[in-house]
Amino acid sequence: MKLLRVDMNQSQVRWEPVPPVYERLGGRALIAKLLLEEVPPACEPLGPLNKLIFAPGLLGGCSVTTAGRLSVGGKSPLTKGAKEANAGGTAGDTLGKLDIKAIVVEGRAHKGKWFILRIHGDSAELLPAEGLSGLGTYATSDLLQERYGAGSTVISIGQAGEMRLGGAGICVTGEGGQRSNHAARGGLGAVMGSKSLKAIVIDKPVGKSIPSADADLLRTAARTFAQKLINDPKLGSKGAQHLYGTSSIVAAVNEMGSLPTRNFSSGNFEGSGTLRGEYLREVNLSRGGEAGTRCMPGCVIACRNVYVDENGKPIVGTLQFETIALLGSNLGLGNLDEVAQLNRMCNDFGLDTIETGAALGVALEAGSGKFGDFESIRVLLAQVGEGTVLGRLIGNGAVLTGRVLGIKRIPAAVGQGMPGYDPRSLKGNGVTYATSPQGADHTAGNAFGARNEVNPLGIPGQKELSLRLQIIAAMLDSTGLCLFARPPIISNPQLMVDMLNGRYGWGWTVEDYDRANREVLRTELEFNRRAGLTPADYRIPEYMCTEPLPPHNVTFDVPNSELDSVFETL
Amino acid sequence: MKISVELFGQLSPQAPRRQTLDLASTATVQEAAELLGLNSEEIGMVTIDGIQSEMQDPLHTDCRLCFFPYLSGG
Repeated sequence: MKLLRVDMNQSQVRWEPVPPVYERLGGRALIAKLLLEEVPPACEPLGPLNKLIFAPGLLGGCSVTTAGRLSVGGKSPLTKGAKEANAGGTAGDTLGKLDIKAIVVEGRAHKGKWFILRIHGDSAELLPAEGLSGLGTYATSDLLQERYGAGSTVISIGQAGEMRLGGAGICVTGEGGQRSNHAARGGLGAVMGSKSLKAIVIDKPVGKSIPSADADLLRTAARTFAQKLINDPKLGSKGAQHLYGTSSIVAAVNEMGSLPTRNFSSGNFEGSGTLRGEYLREVNLSRGGEAGTRCMPGCVIACRNVYVDENGKPIVGTLQFETIALLGSNLGLGNLDEVAQLNRMCNDFGLDTIETGAALGVALEAGSGKFGDFESIRVLLAQVGEGTVLGRLIGNGAVLTGRVLGIKRIPAAVGQGMPGYDPRSLKGNGVTYATSPQGADHTAGNAFGARNEVNPLGIPGQKELSLRLQIIAAMLDSTGLCLFARPPIISNPQLMVDMLNGRYGWGWTVEDYDRANREVLRTELEFNRRAGLTPADYRIPEYMCTEPLPPHNVTFDVPNSELDSVFETL
Repeated sequence: MKISVELFGQLSPQAPRRQTLDLASTATVQEAAELLGLNSEEIGMVTIDGIQSEMQDPLHTDCRLCFFPYLSGG
């Protein structure tokens, strides 16, 4: 495999062999190690010393179902620590097939110049981004696929990334004209903007297959893995994830009293009935929309939808739980058409819907608009794309919005807006938000799926649960697997070990695999420590520890001593 | 005692989505599920008044009982 170094200072690219220190790492694990080895931890996230890394997981490109996610990483402008966000689409699979371990973007181009990086087979070049500056991600993807072929993969930023806003994410195209896969969290789109890199275009690889150390072992394990996903009651063709997508959990999270509502002031939204997955499916299919499609080649779960308007015209694909929670109930909106429109605007500007929804909730509490009033919210969000002062404020995320507008109820941890689970009534997620080196990020260790093991309202067991989930998440993010593909690996880790050994011939044991997953967290925590983050930076906001959340009227009461000892057994 | 019940996801076609049940005062979640004709293997989560509960847990007058299929985190 090889690394592609992109020097924005000199407008040069170079291929290099993978250094031994990175050889057994992929995705998030590689990003963490590369940050610790090559990036000064205290550097300015939007300055030339930070690096932006694109890396497929260890199983990217080798026909393992759900393993085609692309990890993107760097030092986050929001958390000021190590950040990895990943997206579906075709990028992870394509880079894997091209035998590219990672693309590492370094330095900073002269201000005002924008570039695209084009990768064509074994060659790469930086080209002027003519006619692309100022465009949203939809138009950017359209233009670049017209230029380089509909089968090419486009990774791009919108206006938010160009303006280096902390809520900016990175868009990745997928099969069949997909435009809305985003490595959304942590402001990595702003890092891409700071490098003056508007987009990466990867031509479709033709006739590329990657060699495996033991093809039979890989094939057998991959087939077993896929079959177990198909047989899983949550994930198979009769499962809620396939039928309703991630929105299948709207009703459950609402019933548990954890659905962010009106800037996290309640965990129960009276309008949730028209936001939930069953309703979404019914309305969407009746209009000619799609459900049960896939965001990555070969995915057997297929939880993506294409949400359409009353005339059957696609608004956005896919409309997901997190977006519905943050741009819906959190803003007092119970209309999926309105949520979908806000979703599309965020996608086009290249904004993280979680961070932006959290920021908008704070702005509404400050009186900049009204909860439940779509038009006032739409106008606020439109200002992000226009680049007004208020728009840039919201685009920079919940913490900055709250600080400037004088709001103390800011749902964030480690500088990052919270996802769609209020930590007061799903305390396991609170522990993850308050300890993960990734900040308030449900994908770093989501306790919702573990509700049968630990009482979500209690304290006992949360610390151990969060650590276990964080280790699993590190594995998923480093191998390129989708978050939802975890059940077969949790029940039989040997399956993952066999796939890795089949691909690489490392002769790993389950113990080696476990050690590698834990090392990801250790590396990130060390980077964050060197960056100056202290336990105080990780805390759940004070108001959530004192202000009871309806309907269960609970606070986040996991003691700091518990939080500070989560990694004692790492 | 009377309780209100709501079924979610794939469970709802098995019985009316929302209904009121009249049960003995000692009734459990399991008994309510049987009365509704639900396939217990398809029940992934149960809440009573928003609190995660088990099949053997007792019900109480005027409670809200919800049955969910197996779900994955969002």
